[in-house]
Amino acid sequence: MLTQGIAAAVPQIMTDDPDRFEELVREHQAMVFSMACRYLRNRALAEEIAQDVFLQLYRKLATLESPEHVLHWLRWVTAHRLIDHSRQEKRRPQSPLEEAPEPAAADPTNNADPLLSDMLRDLVAALPENARVVMILRYQEDLDPMDIARALDMPVATVKSHLQRSLALLRDKLRDKLARTKGVGL
Amino acid sequence: MNLDDELRSALRRDNPSPDFARRVVAQAKFSAKPKKSMPRMMWAAAIAAILAVGFTAPYEYRQMKAERAASDAVLALRITAEKLNMTREKVLRIEN
Repeated sequence: MLTQGIAAAVPQIMTDDPDRFEELVREHQAMVFSMACRYLRNRALAEEIAQDVFLQLYRKLATLESPEHVLHWLRWVTAHRLIDHSRQEKRRPQSPLEEAPEPAAADPTNNADPLLSDMLRDLVAALPENARVVMILRYQEDLDPMDIARALDMPVATVKSHLQRSLALLRDKLRDKLARTKGVGL
Repeated sequence: MNLDDELRSALRRDNPSPDFARRVVAQAKFSAKPKKSMPRMMWAAAIAAILAVGFTAPYEYRQMKAERAASDAVLALRITAEKLNMTREKVLRIEN
């Protein structure tokens, strides 16, 4: 229903209608912001990067042909923007305050263990750049390896290998962490 | 514990601050207008202009060089004629 609304809206957004553009931002803001937030573990920086991505979208709208194209473009640009950002950050010395992870917003509808979720978000945020984006697209966006490969211009085998290695790494690190905090293994 | 489910739950989508979309639109209005793609006719006209300049420029350059060479030749002939006249006058003075 919403997708149909946006599908009808896209050609009109290209005619500079700010209300239509706002609708498009609202439609995709959770996806773009969450990708940035999970990747960076910093809400303020995630909003900044999400804003840049949408401004880039605004300038690019006339060349995007359909809502699917917009979605694919947003995933691709956000992923590459995040990878570029963390590569630039590696070259820049950081203050301990900047490195501190942002506390997650409380979500009353989520029944998961908040401590475990927080640990998992930390562990995902510590993965290498490409593996991190692959994990976010897999578990946040629920994309299968084929779609992730298409979204990132990456071979499917590489995506599968990132997923397998990251899951094995997370399992090990989580087992260690939980053993240390609770004294119990997984 | 199922790690896949825990990851889905930990990485579920989250919303930015409530005024995010409005801020983006305000920024978009001030900073950048969407670029209209150039119509095909304009592309065709631009390409035709580039080709026309590309084809006519060497011809015009050759013509300009020829005109300059012709005016240089006329100047050289004038100088030669003056020298010949001066020599002729000297010869006539010696003979007389």
